[in-house]
Amino acid sequence: MRDLAELADARLALDPERTIAALAGAFALWRAPGSEQRSRLAREHGVFSPEMIDFGVEAALEGWTASALERLRARELSGIFSAPRVTSVWLAGSIPPAAFSAIALPLLAGSAVYAKPSAADPVSARLFAESLRALDPGVAAAVRIGSDPKALDEADAVVAQGGDETIASIRSRVPPARPFLGYGHKLSLAVIGADVDPATAARSLALDVALWDGRGCLSPAWALVCDSPRGRAAEVAHALASALEELEDRLPRGRLETSEFAELLELRARAAVRDGTRLELAAGASSWTVVLESSEARPPAGTLRFVSVIPVADADAASRFIAPLAPHLSCVGHAGWGANLSRLAALAVAAGASRLCPLGRMQLPPLDWNHDGQGPLRPLVRWLDLES
Amino acid sequence: MDHARRGTGRARARAHAAADDRGAPAPGGDRGAGGAARVTRAGLERAILTWIAEGVDAPADEARFDSLAVALFRLQFQRGPAYRRLCAAFGADSGVVGGWRDIPVVPTGAFKEARLAIFPPEATLRVFRTSGSTTEARGALHLDTLALYDASLLATFRAYLCPDVERIRFAVLAPAADGVGDSSLSYMFERAMRELGTPESRFWIGAAGLDLDALSSELARLREPILLAGTAFAFVHLLDFLESRGARLALPAGTRVMETGGFKGRSRELTREELHGAIASRLGVPRARIVNQYGMCELASQFYEASLRTGRMTDVKSVPPWVRTRALDPATLRDVAPGEPGVLVHYDLANTGSVLAVMTSDLGTIVEGGFRVHGRLRGAEARGCSLAADALLSETGAAR
Repeated sequence: MRDLAELADARLALDPERTIAALAGAFALWRAPGSEQRSRLAREHGVFSPEMIDFGVEAALEGWTASALERLRARELSGIFSAPRVTSVWLAGSIPPAAFSAIALPLLAGSAVYAKPSAADPVSARLFAESLRALDPGVAAAVRIGSDPKALDEADAVVAQGGDETIASIRSRVPPARPFLGYGHKLSLAVIGADVDPATAARSLALDVALWDGRGCLSPAWALVCDSPRGRAAEVAHALASALEELEDRLPRGRLETSEFAELLELRARAAVRDGTRLELAAGASSWTVVLESSEARPPAGTLRFVSVIPVADADAASRFIAPLAPHLSCVGHAGWGANLSRLAALAVAAGASRLCPLGRMQLPPLDWNHDGQGPLRPLVRWLDLES
Repeated sequence: MDHARRGTGRARARAHAAADDRGAPAPGGDRGAGGAARVTRAGLERAILTWIAEGVDAPADEARFDSLAVALFRLQFQRGPAYRRLCAAFGADSGVVGGWRDIPVVPTGAFKEARLAIFPPEATLRVFRTSGSTTEARGALHLDTLALYDASLLATFRAYLCPDVERIRFAVLAPAADGVGDSSLSYMFERAMRELGTPESRFWIGAAGLDLDALSSELARLREPILLAGTAFAFVHLLDFLESRGARLALPAGTRVMETGGFKGRSRELTREELHGAIASRLGVPRARIVNQYGMCELASQFYEASLRTGRMTDVKSVPPWVRTRALDPATLRDVAPGEPGVLVHYDLANTGSVLAVMTSDLGTIVEGGFRVHGRLRGAEARGCSLAADALLSETGAAR
């Protein structure tokens, strides 16, 4: 592929300092007050409301600075290694910061990037590349946005996002010797312990539920609430409903596909017919749904601002709920665990989680997050062990 | 679902839909909400059976349907606690509707969560379940009578597959009902075979799977027309088998084929057009004698293409007079514009013991004479009646 050869040439002109400066500058442009880039993305994105883009991008990029990039590179890439000349990045979903980081991280590792945008979001990757070009055309020359599947065959490394079937399909095209990072189906949940005021926890949880309209793998599908004394889960559910209602004004939900409306209708119906549930929902609208469950049984995973609040008696009950999620658990949001947080961490890691964070931060992973338990840079490069 | 218009400063009350069954009439109470006239289930079923007995060519009388559907809804609202909870959640907690189009619809997923039945569990005669793995929730239709189920299935099966014969030899590419007692598809084939089949009729999928050697030999020896019926998956297995041997059959004139179900992404997938083309080419059955059936576990009635009945090829599914089908926008639950695709919702009067308004996960359009199916909603769960047969094929080492 000619594109890949050109990208490989462009990469030769880069050094880490220059790349870090360009990336940090681009992130700064995107998170600046009144950012023109955010405004443009809000106009062109089509999935999320402008308010969501404006708030979500700014909040997500907080801390994505030059020093954070330097620390990450120093942490991950100390030693003798060779970076891929070109990394092919196959994007999925519609969350802009996920596209930004997927492009930025291989660049930080010293690789050029050929990025295929997702069908749901053809805009974010392109606009991010444009912002790089505005700051340093030389760095931007090492990024190409395209959709040629040959890039999977010919790139030196591949990063892929998507469903498990998509990941398996892409993986099958990549020669075994080449680095491959696949980010497949994942889901997340919140666990609220006894040491937190229900209303406070609910407000933080509402942000996790509402951000990116519950479309990401970091969106909580369930909220487990320690129901001791009895009634705490109901308090959380009620306060969560109020907080989601308020957030609908500040961060209105964006566009849904026909199938998504049907999915929400089905989720609501399934919740409604279950014995003992209590539903709170936006009147006459599908913008949010809170279901208070009556048992510790696992209901269908929520999505699109639909969340089930599940009363649990204690940590053992939470463990029983979490453990079977092992192949697909990503993030656990916590509140009110106090001195028992280490116990929750043990539970979470055993269930395959790669992130345990305070409620209200679930959708805002740091740049150096070990996404799906893998270092963001180390798996991309080829290491040399020098023995003397 | 989005009935409320967005706007700044709107006051949006929250709907609380508690699972509260108190205050509902006790089972057996026959007075409808709002003081409606006394309607018994037995009386309703008699009226519906009468209509079904008039056959698929009976007038699809709107007033007749409306009156029966509204009365049936009242009964199901009064006696079905799970359905009543759903109605409450969707703001229809009075049990009173203006007409059949206002009856709250039940997405098929709800059949996985609760027993949607208006009779006590001990009265259950049969349970049909959606196909699926042992670990995932499966939808279930609970029945305390098979009278309406049988009447509806036989009326349509006869009309669309055997309009020209009293009896015909069945060759069924699906397991018999005694092997998969919760399969509505196997039950349907068995019931139809009993009523319309000759003594040589048989099921071709047993405990050992589909015996393709024996089946193809049998088909090659035929001198009389048959009804070859089964899941789309099973037909793919048969076609692949014949192709691998370079065999091309010419089934006797008068033979008809019925296939049903999707492919579920579990093996080679074909479009309906490709499947029917391959059946015509490999089995020697004219395209106009190949009929697709659309059915679902949650409904008592099924839908057929009228190709065989009319002699004209069509992909339109005919709707019997005792059923109504709409294509809805799931955001508003209103009918989509004519010719536009929407989510298919069926109102089946033969579903007396559960709920009559069932919302599918299929996209379709309403057209003259019935509806067209465009496929599953993207992202909807894969499920359907052909999976069980295919799973059985896979578990038993696939087709021999």
